[in-house]
Amino acid sequence: MKWLACVAICAGAFTNASAQDFEQRGFLETRLGGFPETTRNDQSHAAGQAVFQWDLSYKIFPWLTFSGGIEAQTDSHQETERKFHLDVQDRGLLRPAFEIRSFKMTVHKGHLSADLGKQFIRWGKADILNPTDRFAPRDYLDVVDNEFLGVLAARATLEGGGNSLDLVWTPRFTPSRMPLLNERWTIPPPDLMGRMENAATHFPGGGQYGARVNHVGRRYEMSASMFEGYNHLPLISSSVYPLASLLEVEAHYPKIRMYGTDAAISFPWFTLKTEGGFFQSREPHTTAAPQSDDYFLYVAQLERQVGEWIFVGGYAGQTITQRRSLMDFDPERGLARAFLGRIGYTIDARRSASVEMAQRQSGTGTWIRLGYSQLFGAHWRTTVEVVLIGGDSTDFLGQYHRNSHVILRIRYSF
Amino acid sequence: MSSRALASAILLLGHLLARAAQGQPALEIAQKEQERTRSQSERYEGTLQVIDAKRKVTEKRWTFDRMGSHGNSKTILRFTAPAEVKGVALLIVNHPDRASDQWMWTPALERDRRVALQDRSTRFFGTDFSFEDLEERDISQFDYKLLGEEAVNGAPCWKLESHPKQTKSSQYSSSHLWIRKDNYVLVRIDNYRKDKLARQIEYSEIENIQNIWTPKKLQVSDPARDSRTVMKVDNVRYNAPMKDADFTVEALRRGL
Repeated sequence: MKWLACVAICAGAFTNASAQDFEQRGFLETRLGGFPETTRNDQSHAAGQAVFQWDLSYKIFPWLTFSGGIEAQTDSHQETERKFHLDVQDRGLLRPAFEIRSFKMTVHKGHLSADLGKQFIRWGKADILNPTDRFAPRDYLDVVDNEFLGVLAARATLEGGGNSLDLVWTPRFTPSRMPLLNERWTIPPPDLMGRMENAATHFPGGGQYGARVNHVGRRYEMSASMFEGYNHLPLISSSVYPLASLLEVEAHYPKIRMYGTDAAISFPWFTLKTEGGFFQSREPHTTAAPQSDDYFLYVAQLERQVGEWIFVGGYAGQTITQRRSLMDFDPERGLARAFLGRIGYTIDARRSASVEMAQRQSGTGTWIRLGYSQLFGAHWRTTVEVVLIGGDSTDFLGQYHRNSHVILRIRYSF
Repeated sequence: MSSRALASAILLLGHLLARAAQGQPALEIAQKEQERTRSQSERYEGTLQVIDAKRKVTEKRWTFDRMGSHGNSKTILRFTAPAEVKGVALLIVNHPDRASDQWMWTPALERDRRVALQDRSTRFFGTDFSFEDLEERDISQFDYKLLGEEAVNGAPCWKLESHPKQTKSSQYSSSHLWIRKDNYVLVRIDNYRKDKLARQIEYSEIENIQNIWTPKKLQVSDPARDSRTVMKVDNVRYNAPMKDADFTVEALRRGL
């Protein structure tokens, strides 16, 4: 009955709204990936995926907006569920075939905005690595080609006079999606003779919260943030069963606290964007559960536009103040102690090209993405990406050295 | 007073009179042009056609909202087409004494991003508008000189030259402006880098909307690239009530 009442209220409100207050956009995209090399747990050379996304927004009153998005997808490698199930939580090992990506209500009055529902929350100012972006879990099934996941949250933002205060509370934890154990983005231990299996994923209970203040000044802006909750990237524990030739893997999401800051400062010749977060383990250290490190993760980048070129170059670093973890899956820290860069070129209104790279300072890992994109007509865009990965098996980036690939994306936007 | 001193004094006086005759009217003309377009707010829907050197046409559409007056205004541009950039928005906060601050909202990334604009000659989304061209031209940021009179499309105009002041960092070293004598409407700007024409903007289809002469068609040409962008504006509305809270980074995120 509650749902019926909600539908009736919404329907009534919709009839009062004008067409100008309705906005929708979406796309259908097919992605074809080609991998020259096979890996130990993936002998295929090609992978395909098709994704449909549709986002809608409706301003019912000047102070009230409902917005949301749905996604449907399938693929060749069973990274997507094969059953019909409308997913909202986004907590499965596989991508849901049908999903409500987001659905939120936004109330805006004066200087205050409040968002309630499943939504995307992004913090930070840097481009390649965002240590303070704590409410932004990602789908890392294909590690270097990841997308953000929405989180169920209540968010209030107070803004005025160049200052803003952002308060976020999430009642339910949303983890990042890890690579599947039987696919090429999981690298098994070299001495493993058998197979790997997921034994358990331990989702923490309880909410998470965070606050961020931002100040926009003359030629600069800066923020300070704080997060209390769980790392959306897991610690890994494993059990070996030699008789069964089995390695069982469990994922734990440690309780952490993060104090962060970020800034963007415009200088005459470049813009400096920097961001850093100090991560503190909040696990009771008396338990036998895996413990997370205390560490400081930071990034500093310089950005400059010259005509149609954009140049971004920087460094991501990490200082571990207390080491506790034995094994984790952390692409953010995996990019630390590395030089990062991006060069983009807008050829014309329809075409663009870019190069992105990460080079580990130790020389043990390299990731380069070359991209070219072209618009055909008003709706079709084709993008070709060449991803080159090299390095040592002991390095987070280098371990994927057999995963260099080419991706062709064909997107129809509407 | 010696004859040489007298001659010097006459030359100096002549020079000052000539400067007064050229500089002051030029500034007054530019001032009147700006005053006659002054409004508390402006809203329009723009359709852009980018015509490249191969004469291929790409169309983009946006909505434009401005609040505040010249040099101290805030603007939000929201793309409505093509589909792939629908929802992309740009917030421009203009300052009277320095380059504007700009933030871009990209729905696909779900985040705002401060635009690094050391070089404001960068073309905006592949159009022939540079980021600087999207900023408002405030007369206090330029020095003016009257070059003479010249007709544009049969309409008598004053031809002015402007140079950015020291405090203003501009990609253009000078500009020539044509302002109609009958209604003080700016009908053409030729922007130069050193002595080379970098960008030409022509304003036409001028209509009186709410007592403000408004060009409904703009053509921006980039001779170096042999490309041009034609923008047509519709549903122009001045002095519509707008709120300061709708011109913030948070407002970019809220959309609509």
